[in-house]
Amino acid sequence: MNGKLEYWVKIPIGPIHPALEEPEKFIITLDGERIINVDVKLGYNLRGLEWIAMRRNYIQILYLAERICGICSFSHNHTYSRAVEEMAGIEVPERAEYIRVIIGELERIHSHLLNLGVVGHTIGYDTTLHLSWLARERVMDILEAIGGNRVNYSINTIGGVRRDLEEKHIRAILDMIENYRNEVMPKIEEIFLYDPTVEARLRDAGVIPKRIAIEYSAQGPTARGSGVKKDVRYNERLSVYPDLGVKPITPKEFTGVVKGDVFDRMVVRVGELWQSMELIERAIDQMPEGKIKAVPKDNTLLFQLKKAEGEGIGRYEAPRGELIHYVMAQKGKDVPAKWKMREPTFPNLFAIARALVGEQVADVPVAIASIDPCLSCTDRVAVVDANTGRKKVLTERDLLRLSIEKTRELNPNVRAKPEVVGVGCPRGGVL
Amino acid sequence: MNVLYATLGFLGIYAYVSFASLLWGGIDRKLVARMQRRMGPPLLQPFYDFLKLVGKESIIPRDANRFFELAPVLALATSIALLAYTPLGFEPIFGTKGDVILFIYLLTLIGFLRVVGAVSSGSPYAQIGAQREMIILVSREGPMMLALFTILWRLSDLGVTKPFSMGTFYEHNVWELGTPMSIIGAVVLLLVFLAWLASEIEVGYFDIPEAETELAEGTMAEYSGRHLALFELANAIKAFVSASLVVAIFFPWGISGYIGLTGLPAVVIDLLFHTLKVFAVLFVSMSLFRAVTGRLRINQAVSLFWTRMLPAAIVGALLLAIDTLGVVA
Repeated sequence: MNGKLEYWVKIPIGPIHPALEEPEKFIITLDGERIINVDVKLGYNLRGLEWIAMRRNYIQILYLAERICGICSFSHNHTYSRAVEEMAGIEVPERAEYIRVIIGELERIHSHLLNLGVVGHTIGYDTTLHLSWLARERVMDILEAIGGNRVNYSINTIGGVRRDLEEKHIRAILDMIENYRNEVMPKIEEIFLYDPTVEARLRDAGVIPKRIAIEYSAQGPTARGSGVKKDVRYNERLSVYPDLGVKPITPKEFTGVVKGDVFDRMVVRVGELWQSMELIERAIDQMPEGKIKAVPKDNTLLFQLKKAEGEGIGRYEAPRGELIHYVMAQKGKDVPAKWKMREPTFPNLFAIARALVGEQVADVPVAIASIDPCLSCTDRVAVVDANTGRKKVLTERDLLRLSIEKTRELNPNVRAKPEVVGVGCPRGGVL
Repeated sequence: MNVLYATLGFLGIYAYVSFASLLWGGIDRKLVARMQRRMGPPLLQPFYDFLKLVGKESIIPRDANRFFELAPVLALATSIALLAYTPLGFEPIFGTKGDVILFIYLLTLIGFLRVVGAVSSGSPYAQIGAQREMIILVSREGPMMLALFTILWRLSDLGVTKPFSMGTFYEHNVWELGTPMSIIGAVVLLLVFLAWLASEIEVGYFDIPEAETELAEGTMAEYSGRHLALFELANAIKAFVSASLVVAIFFPWGISGYIGLTGLPAVVIDLLFHTLKVFAVLFVSMSLFRAVTGRLRINQAVSLFWTRMLPAAIVGALLLAIDTLGVVA
């Protein structure tokens, strides 16, 4: 106690908390209702994906990349493909790029609608959650019609896309956009731009000034909400996006002021919903006929990749911000030597933790939700903190042993021997 | 003999109000769900919840003290005691002179016991919830008491047998005063009361102490099993009783007189009609309010009460008082 009493209250937000969808810990030190310190603890959600990836070939990693996160499943997949394409020098057909744009923007619509609802929920305004998630169903239905799944549509592959857009899909997409323009977006705008409750709660909450946003390298709507004109699609002149006239959206165009608070981030998201719909329409207009895959057969592709050497970097503007995938090839193997990704949540998380100091405890959930954290994307290192404070790294074998022990404890009738086999990936000499 | 009847009637009222208030919980959830384009839980969900919680083990935190277990029992006891002074379509059973003050004290006591229980639990979430509950308790009572006492003072001026009692509302009501000023004043005070009611049952703007997404149910964070069930029932009864106060002040009319009933049937019909009115008031103040608003920050809610509701209450009170005071000749 250092001989003096501390009147501060420490609140753990997480690892399990109703405001967080995923396990992550924010230790918040409070003086009354005012926050004086925020401590971010990462690492509750490690799944060892990079480790698993080094035992799988390039095409199998596509499906792994998709499962990094359920919301930006296409973005991860797409970025990984771009990295491998850059590494192997594969030219993607133009029609495939357009289809990628369409799917990517559809995904952005569904991600932003989801986040708008989540932010509404964290301020206790559940009606917004239910309305925006109801609207989101329509995009997900379209994605299901195109890719076969609501969440992991696995439409992307290295050097193109796996499914072509048919006439009925295009008609469904245009119908959906029509419906959104006329019915959904007016409601969303009314709620998130003009509702007094929303304005009272979101204005001046979780302010990230422009300087902090640049210093902490905030990404995506978090950076654009603070007035930083940063959008990979625009800055890097990514794929066919320049032809479609993409521009970074800042709240200035909608409300005339840039404060960098939660409200501004929501305004950016509403603006991007409009922009995404426009982009999809233009992409459908300009989409040429032609091939959708650079290499038609997967085994030919694998053979080509086996010969590849060097490294590649893929960048893409996921709904949450810039996504970077790095792939390093080993010559003569169809397994990458290294696969590494950087998610937008990682820099955003520390920017928001910095911004929360000095604000009220009521702003914590809404500020965290406003960066749309994807914590399962972010976690990398498994350090298990025991009760004694000792640190220990659990390997896959330990986890498997623990889970088998747990199963036996719960159900003694299970007779199988606890053997560490059959986890679904070919085993090297590591274990 | 009289005591026996009073006790039996009291038990009957307790059973009925418990049923009606839990039923309202179900209706409210269903209505809000329909407003949000959802199906919603079954109508009897609060009963299922209550029965399930009663049957479950109650977990008591290691750091909790005696009051943690005592508070829910006392809260339910207080809410039962409150029923003796609540107007339910007929005069309160134990109504007497000045019982309004007792009524307000008991109503506040339930909130206070929640705070005591939360502070005793030793959880930081509950403690912050308790802080917020105290702050908002202090802010909301002022405007409400000012409004309530003005109305009672004005009504007792007309000559009632028991001044400053709940029974006053069955002899005269605010709309009877008749002057345009008093009607405008009464409407203003009705708004004050609806806001107070929303704050009392913690919905919409005022769901601050229990803020689920911020404090993980705040004051109720550590409660589980039987103790939580007792608190849930106490809160449901509190909602019903608070709405009964608003109904008694502003919509006190019964229907038994019009269909010519007397005795027990009249009491039953009035009780049912009163329940209907309570549900209507709760619909406005709870369901609608919950569906169209989010939660405010604590400082915003407090400033709402001190800078909007208190002036509104003062204006309403002055408008009511103005013809008695003879300012406008």
